[in-house]
Amino acid sequence: MKRKKDPATILFQIIAYSTVTILTVLCLLPFWLVVIGSFTTENEIIGEGFKLWPNALSLDAYHAAFSNPKQILQAYWVTTWITFVGSIAGLFLTSMAGYVLSRGDFKYRNSFAFFMYFTTLFGGGLIPWYILIVKYLALKDSYLVMIIPSLISAWNIILMKNFMKSIPDSIVESARIDGANDFTIYTRLIMPLSTPGLATIGLFLALGYWNDWFTANIFITTEAKYPLQFFLYKILANAAVLRTNIAANLSAVNFTAPAETLKMAVAVIVTGPIVFLYPFIQKYFVKGLTIGAVKG
Amino acid sequence: MKRKMGLLLAIVLLVGTVLAGCSKNNENAAESSNSADPGTGSNASAGASGPDISKPVELTWYLLGDANPDTPKVMDEFNKMLKKDLNATVKLNFTTWNDWSTKYNLLLTAGEKIDMIFASSWAGYFKYAKQGAFMDLTDLLPQYAPEVQGQVPAQDWSDVTIGGKIYAVPNTNPEYTPDGLVYREDWRKELNLPEIKDLDSIEAYMDGIKKNKQGVIPINGSALNEIYTMFLYYHDLHSIGGDSGVVVSKSYDTPRDIVAYPFTPEYEAWVKKTKEWADKGFWSKNTLSSKQEAGDLIKTGTGAIYWRNPPGASGFITDVQKNDPKVELGYFPFTRFHNYAMPTMAIANGMAIPRSAANPERSLMVLDKIRTDPKYYNLITYGIEGYHYDLINDGKNIEMPSKSQDPAKVQAYGIADWGWRNKELMKSGIGGWDGLDKLNEEFSNMTKPDIFSPISMDYDPVKSEYAAVNQVIDQYGKPLMLGLVPDVDKAIQTYRDKLTAAGIDKVLDYVKQQANAYYDEKNIK
Repeated sequence: MKRKKDPATILFQIIAYSTVTILTVLCLLPFWLVVIGSFTTENEIIGEGFKLWPNALSLDAYHAAFSNPKQILQAYWVTTWITFVGSIAGLFLTSMAGYVLSRGDFKYRNSFAFFMYFTTLFGGGLIPWYILIVKYLALKDSYLVMIIPSLISAWNIILMKNFMKSIPDSIVESARIDGANDFTIYTRLIMPLSTPGLATIGLFLALGYWNDWFTANIFITTEAKYPLQFFLYKILANAAVLRTNIAANLSAVNFTAPAETLKMAVAVIVTGPIVFLYPFIQKYFVKGLTIGAVKG
Repeated sequence: MKRKMGLLLAIVLLVGTVLAGCSKNNENAAESSNSADPGTGSNASAGASGPDISKPVELTWYLLGDANPDTPKVMDEFNKMLKKDLNATVKLNFTTWNDWSTKYNLLLTAGEKIDMIFASSWAGYFKYAKQGAFMDLTDLLPQYAPEVQGQVPAQDWSDVTIGGKIYAVPNTNPEYTPDGLVYREDWRKELNLPEIKDLDSIEAYMDGIKKNKQGVIPINGSALNEIYTMFLYYHDLHSIGGDSGVVVSKSYDTPRDIVAYPFTPEYEAWVKKTKEWADKGFWSKNTLSSKQEAGDLIKTGTGAIYWRNPPGASGFITDVQKNDPKVELGYFPFTRFHNYAMPTMAIANGMAIPRSAANPERSLMVLDKIRTDPKYYNLITYGIEGYHYDLINDGKNIEMPSKSQDPAKVQAYGIADWGWRNKELMKSGIGGWDGLDKLNEEFSNMTKPDIFSPISMDYDPVKSEYAAVNQVIDQYGKPLMLGLVPDVDKAIQTYRDKLTAAGIDKVLDYVKQQANAYYDEKNIK
């Protein structure tokens, strides 16, 4: 049965559809410019700027980025591995910390929470951090240095704690009556109940690991250990340095990179895989927000 | 009650960490000063008995930039030789170009065990040396690197000497890097414009291009460097200690006459001229915000002039002509305004030993080897003979990559070898732009030592004034320099007022004081 549409509804739908369409186009446009920019020739971008459709398509930028396919695949492998291990381990540690802090019978939970929160306000700065990791922990040029420092963050713990607080205490009590110990409660009840929270934090962690180039920049000296982001950023830095006066000294290096298009190609290569992560996690993301809202 | 307990605990924990942090720092400082002492102590004892190489060591060296894909292979060969001769191996690390200055700073300040590192005036050699990041090599050199000590000219040693101590081994490769302009020579011939040899001919050239070439802007893209460096060279003004903003020395003959150039009549005349040029359209109105290099626009055929130093021009010209052999480019070095050239300081490139080095003696011996033995020099600099390169013309020239290899697979080898370059061992390639050799000969016939760059400036005592002045230069000075103001006289007045308000006098006094101290030390009148 079709409801008869009155003019007002039709008008509303026209406005609504066109607004949404325009917004969608506006959101897609920058992304399209990046993708098509990576297929444009360098001279065209310099001469005429970015265009929605170039005069000629070119794969030069991808040739430059993939000039050494073995290295880029190795970098992909390193990044995937680090993201996987880091996210799982980080999720485990963060949720345990969050759980402990959310338990009402943990006497000093507030002071511990404060102590953790407190660290977010101050930082030692780059040099002490560097000295700690290189001299005292001896983690320079090791895979661990890309995983350990960002395993746990105070912000994630607080987020987790607040999420777990929304799980009713009575669940924990009933399990206790049935004879479950703390760890069983944590793994069998709390973890499954907090999937939305875990998905959120997991996404944060995974994105953090995927996008992290800075630790590798400072601590990794072996080329085979470079993660993807740093590897590609390095190509860009090379292209940039070739334009400065330092390049005059680099006469032996016959590598001229198309810089503008290369930036776009690198953006496409790097964001490509992680974009596909969103649809999978988004499901939990939305659910998490609604569940939180309903249970208050 | 509970809450109070919690707060108390938190405070205790907090105080605890703060104290722990402090004591760590102290330990740290103590340790670093300790580690420095035994280092120098053992040097002295080793010095008495001659170089002792019985203990095998692995040296960690750091260079700027990137490794070549073949670097591990080359270093394996290198280390085989080195193991036999000096019982040492070198692990070559690279900073890569990402944030290299941050990383360089971390390497030197964190006290890592590094046995040798690239050092350079443009990488903060004077700053780090004064902060004590480098080891004093004065006494080590005669013992462990006697050949290099004789090889480096006295003037070059004086370039790296700070307070009577030598902190680095400079490379031995006199280079000239004055600023200058690359321009479309074929267009000049086509339009019958005068040969470029002074300011008037440059103006005539730009005028001719603007009038006769449709769609071409003489200095397309960003034009600031072109005009600013031309201004300094034309009036023989010299920045002090690298980049000193608007504070300059008025001429080579009167280095102690230091002024802020916006207050001079020369500047007034200059900006009136650039205003005229800007109105004629020699560069675009948005040139200050343009992120495009003038050189890129020469490549696309919409620009005619690009600012480069001679080696940079050489690379640029070779590159352009490879893509389009019909384009002919000329080069005009600004040194021709006053007919003298200053070579770059020796410490523009060099090698230094960080204070925390574990084996400074062996490191110096390896450096000595590289700089004197062609076998070592060629290997670490050019790669493997017969693979990465061939020597031709009795070893005077080099061909890269080797002819015997497939050029699609084997590329020329190259790393940031600048620190140990030695003119005698360097091989020049064949092909490319032939103008560079001619220019270098021209420069070497009118050379004068650089007395401005070695003055070390850290601006710490006048930090806030310095920052304020730079802000004013950005906001008022740059548009004025490029004539992008409606009323020049009024703009100059505003610029001067703002500079005075920002504290230019204090900066000027500080620069004068630093410069005079240096001139006194080096006996320059």
